[in-house]
Amino acid sequence: MGTIRMDRRLFLKSAGATAGAVAALQVGCLKYFKKGRSSAGDTKEIPTTCELCPNKCSAIAVVEGGFVKKLNPNPENPKSRDMLCARGNAAIKQVYDPDRLKQPMIRVGARGEGKWKPVSWDEAFDFAAKKLSEVKDKYGPQASLWSSTEGFQEVFFKNLGLSFGSPNLVRHPTLCLASVNLAYSATFGTVPSFDLLNSKFVIMSGANRFESIITPDTMDLIGGVMERKAKLVYLDPRFTVTAAKADEWYPIKPGTDLAFILAMIHVIIAEGRHSKDFVATYTTGFEQLAEHVKQYTPEWAEKETEIPAKDIVRIAREFADAGARALYYAGRRSSWYQNDFQMRRAQAILNAIVGNWDQMGGMVPNAKLPKGEFLFMPWDEPKAPRVDEVQKEFPLAAAGDGVYLKLRENVLSGKPYPIKAWMVYKQDPMNSLPDQAKTLKMIEQMDFIGVIDVQMSDMAWYADVVFPESAYLERTDPVEVMPGIWPAVVFRQQVVKPIHDTKPNLEIVQGLAKRLGLGDYFDYTIEQWVEAEFKDLPIPMASEHMKKHGVWAASGQPSYGKTLTPDHRFVTKTGKIEIFSERLQEAGYDPLPVYAAPVQPPGDRFRLILGRVGYFTHANQSNNVWLHEFMKENDLWINPKPAERLGIRDGAYVSVSSSVGSVKLKARVTGEIRPDCVFMLHGFGKKSKMQSLVYNVGASDAVILETAWDKVSGNAAFHETFVKVANA
Amino acid sequence: MAMKKKRYALVIDSRKCINCKACVVACKAENNVPIGNFRNRINEERKGEYPKLSINFEPEQCHHCADPSCVRVCPTGASWQRKDGIVLVNYDECIGCRYCMVACPYDARYFNEAEGVVDKCTLCRHRVDKGDIPACVETCPSKVRVFGDLEDTTSRVHELLSTRRYRVKEPQTGNGPQLYYLL
Repeated sequence: MGTIRMDRRLFLKSAGATAGAVAALQVGCLKYFKKGRSSAGDTKEIPTTCELCPNKCSAIAVVEGGFVKKLNPNPENPKSRDMLCARGNAAIKQVYDPDRLKQPMIRVGARGEGKWKPVSWDEAFDFAAKKLSEVKDKYGPQASLWSSTEGFQEVFFKNLGLSFGSPNLVRHPTLCLASVNLAYSATFGTVPSFDLLNSKFVIMSGANRFESIITPDTMDLIGGVMERKAKLVYLDPRFTVTAAKADEWYPIKPGTDLAFILAMIHVIIAEGRHSKDFVATYTTGFEQLAEHVKQYTPEWAEKETEIPAKDIVRIAREFADAGARALYYAGRRSSWYQNDFQMRRAQAILNAIVGNWDQMGGMVPNAKLPKGEFLFMPWDEPKAPRVDEVQKEFPLAAAGDGVYLKLRENVLSGKPYPIKAWMVYKQDPMNSLPDQAKTLKMIEQMDFIGVIDVQMSDMAWYADVVFPESAYLERTDPVEVMPGIWPAVVFRQQVVKPIHDTKPNLEIVQGLAKRLGLGDYFDYTIEQWVEAEFKDLPIPMASEHMKKHGVWAASGQPSYGKTLTPDHRFVTKTGKIEIFSERLQEAGYDPLPVYAAPVQPPGDRFRLILGRVGYFTHANQSNNVWLHEFMKENDLWINPKPAERLGIRDGAYVSVSSSVGSVKLKARVTGEIRPDCVFMLHGFGKKSKMQSLVYNVGASDAVILETAWDKVSGNAAFHETFVKVANA
Repeated sequence: MAMKKKRYALVIDSRKCINCKACVVACKAENNVPIGNFRNRINEERKGEYPKLSINFEPEQCHHCADPSCVRVCPTGASWQRKDGIVLVNYDECIGCRYCMVACPYDARYFNEAEGVVDKCTLCRHRVDKGDIPACVETCPSKVRVFGDLEDTTSRVHELLSTRRYRVKEPQTGNGPQLYYLL
């Protein structure tokens, strides 16, 4: 290539006379424009906090003439430091997206038909309040459902639901990380951070941290693995970016990670490589564990996982030898299999027995910072029990978050009582829940649906009224404490005025509350709320500091080992790290993780596995014009062997069908996946025409995923669907 | 006081690149790059058959060459080079003939349809001239690129090139590329 280009170059150089002639001809088309806008007096730099994912990275917005021109990373944040990912950078396009919701709208056609009437805020509030009141009068306040996802202003939405009298708040954790959080809490009484920056040996399975979401953990892992030469062992049925960067990659048979972990524990205990002092001082139930894992030999695990026994033995030895600085990474989205809680529990136990608790390079309990609270007028607690019957069905789960898939089953059956109104904030159940046909049925049986969002999500597309929320760069939000190894406080402040007729969520909540007779509970401004929170921050002149810097972190190095005193009481039943859990036993679950082989797909089927890529991750980013450039359509990864058998060609469309639905996708025939599973990315195939870049392009995994959940946490199990693939 | 001579360069540690595209979007925002055009990119090289596989990622943009062919072929002098090595396009003089795009061994230039001129990476000169670093360098989660002045013997780029092995792309062109890839 180089030579060819050089020849061209020499040719052009020697053809100068011709070039001159061309120049003369084209002078008429000359366009003058000034590049590099002047950095005149109207440029402002305003620190704020990113909202494109839940990681709260600090950004500095460069504003010119009232427009956000650029978002730079704010190095004062000890977690995000000097990085902003692709999504963080692309947040500008969330504000200036032509598809954005620009004013409140009321549906005039059938649900999902896309016929809307722009209305005033008063009309939208009056309409929603009337509908909500009708449901309350007819069925009681518990007949309303309030769905939301993590966000700084989520608190106002939840409080509206509670003050309205509904116990039925349902949040995102059981579609994401409920199982991993519950597993670590059940073992250590808390969910720790992972000191990836200082670890010497990291095992990752059920997580893909170099690819699926870019967070401070990603940076730390790069620092640890690429600069400090930590070893990374990675298990995944797919060859991902993380696999490419790992020292060792094992294409594990899907759903068998628990067998691998139990065999590692078997080897470590059999060879006496566990941290004996730590186990004796801080844990309970080790003897039962030692007895329990005798059955889980590496040879047995090889048959389950297809990872050679000799490698399992070697990895177990290397892991135990790294001891306090070895980490089995917990993972983030843990909505994988029906045994996910027990798989993450086994990780937690493995981490515990090598003694990495509260150690540099190990697992570290999160340090916290105090924050003030705004005291609002309290309301009576909702009287009805939750519709998803969490306390009865999932006694250990976080009741306040609900269990989404169980909730949908109960709503569809109308038992224990009917749900007739659905309010949604910052969430797209049409794409984030499996089995979209079921979600559509749930939508059909509602007397009223109201959605608050920045954009016309698929859920908003099926709503009766849509309330446009201001983008994060247009709002000031409550103050957030980020607990962690390096705790920090972050502040999101308004960078530009809203460019459309939108409102921050608090004002939307207030508009509804006033008309529902609940106005007194929300009688404050965001400024009053924020100032109250500033009050207890351990910072002199907190308000001024946070507005000027956007972030505050305690100086100095993290201190490890604060909980490593023999009299330290862990927040568990026994006060110790619970290897054997009586609490689990009493609730009717396995007190130690018991392996059951996952059901395998029948001959002509594949297991469907899902994943994310960091420039989208969540379903709400694929319509961002700057991110869409990287991937315009999702495809189906299939190994060349089965592809050949089925006559599937790379780039040709295939139908992918499960028991609940069928989609069409382009095939990507690639050796970067095992032959027994197929893979697709999340976030495409939108039904909303106001997601114009991805409307009807590619496919939504929600259409074909079947409903399944983890027994203990209720977390959705997204990797339990078998599909048939055929040329379309 | 005489200004000390400068020579800007990028030293790139491709091993740390995870193809997250943060640099590409940061550049897009910082420089108003049109949709469909890019001033930087990440090349992917995928090799092997299941399960023996590898992927290499390699960020690339204008190499701000020592003897840039794009400048040599430009019929109007629109493509030019600053004393510190930054290769630029003077939009007032560009006639859109695109010879420079053909002459570039690195495919680092694009034609801006709306403006009728050729455009490319400026190493964020507007930032660099204020003492900041280019947007792609700053935003990167893994700090793949290191920006600096090769003439400054205390700079990180000077240190890296003095102590580490590296390669440049297409050296046979005689362009003298100034993107240094660590081995």
